[in-house]
Amino acid sequence: MLIQFTVNKKSVAVEAPADITLLDLLRDYLGLTGAKEGCAVGECGACSVLMDGRLVNSCLVLAPQADGSEILTIEGVHAPDGGLNDLQENFITYGAVQCGICIPGMVLAGEALLLETLTPTRAEIRTALAGNLCRCTGYQQIVDAIEATAQQRRNQ
Amino acid sequence: MPRFDYVRAHSVAEAVQLLGDPEILSRPLGGGTDVLVFVRHEKPPYDRLVDISRVPEMKIIERHGGEIVVGAAVTYTEAAESPVLQEAAACLVEACLSVGGPAIRNAGTLGGNVANAAACADSLPSLVCLDAVAHLCSRSGERALLVSDLVTGANRTALQRGELITHFTFPVPPAGVRSAFTKLGRRNAQAISRLSMAAAGRLDAQGCVDFVRLSPGAATSQPRRFTEVEAMLLGQEPTDELLAAAGSQTAEVMIGMTGRRWSTEYKEVAIQALAERTLRRALAG
Ligand SMILES: Cc1cc2nc3c(=O)[nH]c(=O)nc-3n(C[C@H](O)[C@H](O)[C@H](O)COP(=O)(O)OP(=O)(O)OC[C@H]3O[C@@H](n4cnc5c(N)ncnc54)[C@H](O)[C@@H]3O)c2cc1C
Ligand code: FES
Ligand code: FES
Repeated sequence: MLIQFTVNKKSVAVEAPADITLLDLLRDYLGLTGAKEGCAVGECGACSVLMDGRLVNSCLVLAPQADGSEILTIEGVHAPDGGLNDLQENFITYGAVQCGICIPGMVLAGEALLLETLTPTRAEIRTALAGNLCRCTGYQQIVDAIEATAQQRRNQ
Repeated sequence: MPRFDYVRAHSVAEAVQLLGDPEILSRPLGGGTDVLVFVRHEKPPYDRLVDISRVPEMKIIERHGGEIVVGAAVTYTEAAESPVLQEAAACLVEACLSVGGPAIRNAGTLGGNVANAAACADSLPSLVCLDAVAHLCSRSGERALLVSDLVTGANRTALQRGELITHFTFPVPPAGVRSAFTKLGRRNAQAISRLSMAAAGRLDAQGCVDFVRLSPGAATSQPRRFTEVEAMLLGQEPTDELLAAAGSQTAEVMIGMTGRRWSTEYKEVAIQALAERTLRRALAG
């Protein structure tokens, strides 16, 4: 079936089977491989994307459910010049990236939170990351990076 | 060949027509957080999913006089953010906030939670505590059932083929009633609870209980209010002793219904503490 939506501000129309996930649509039909398949059952958050401004697990969204919506993937998160944005820079500055597999999801979960509030407490940041698992960092540095970004964006 | 087809409904009338199509076995699709996990491992027992997640009539949260109306396609996030529910149904808001992580709360719906009817479904105790009624619609008409009658057991409901839960209604609790929800889970965010509790209550001018509801989750095969415990609290002063006795009584009622099982030893102690703690929050003066 024909699935039409906006991904990273570009309109796309894709012919795809009705029974695949949004994650497979992004990766296999659109070549957007930033969203990862970790668990495929909603437990890890590696497949996180924003759908109409809200964080979702793209492995739990049926591809045709995305029809008519606005999707933001990690490929659409960057500075105006195409380089890393402030949150991504802070992930590096604060040592929040090790193997990297969880990071696209972590950045999107962070962006979803920062869309809602620029004054999150550390507890709120942890709650916002509750569906995103990281096997490497111990989360502390990721929380630091999001906290620092919130502070910088407040001061802008 | 796709294993099933997909169609989006734009109204309840259209959804009901699609779901009742005798030619194509169809099921509703809400946020997909149960369906997508299921079809990953199992062969879907239907040929088509009818997406009801954007039907405007099923997304409302409104107060009409003495009644609250909550659409079945309302997500946990939408419910938790609703001022109407924050004011009238704190137990439901707390239950919604306890579900999964943010991404699950942004997709999962109340209708899907009730229709799926997992033993540990987190919306059930609060909906039952509020005496919520589920409104169902199919090609053969409409009917309304208490949520506690709609859910007949773990993963079992009285929903018939082609039937859609359109919305829930419940009476606005009397002025001054507070409610609360507590759940025991292994992990803060993603744990699917094994026991939970919703309670509502109010004290009169003398400090005695003049309104009380108690509804445990995942304790009995069919969710229900523990009216036996409510009756022992009514008219009494909620002392530590009384609340402890209410906790023991809750455990007794549960065991009376389920019998003793391998898990009873743990659940008996846990449900006792959970009932006590949740009642204490609901009855805090
Ligand atoms: C990682 C993870 C964590 C989770 N954590 C929790 C948790 O903490 N607590 C909890 O309770 N649940 C949890 N769940 C389960 C799930 O998210 C909820 O049960 C959710 O409410 C299901 O709603 P949905 O809209 O996604 O349903 P769907 O998956 O779309 O549908 C579920 C079932 O309900 C039927 N259905 C959907 N809407 C209707 C309707 N309006 N009328 C009739 N039938 C309908 C569908 O046909 C299907 O059979 C979790 C799931 C995952 C994957
Ligand atoms: S791959 Fe989607 S949550 Fe793990
Ligand atoms: S950096 Fe390796 S899983 Fe998070």
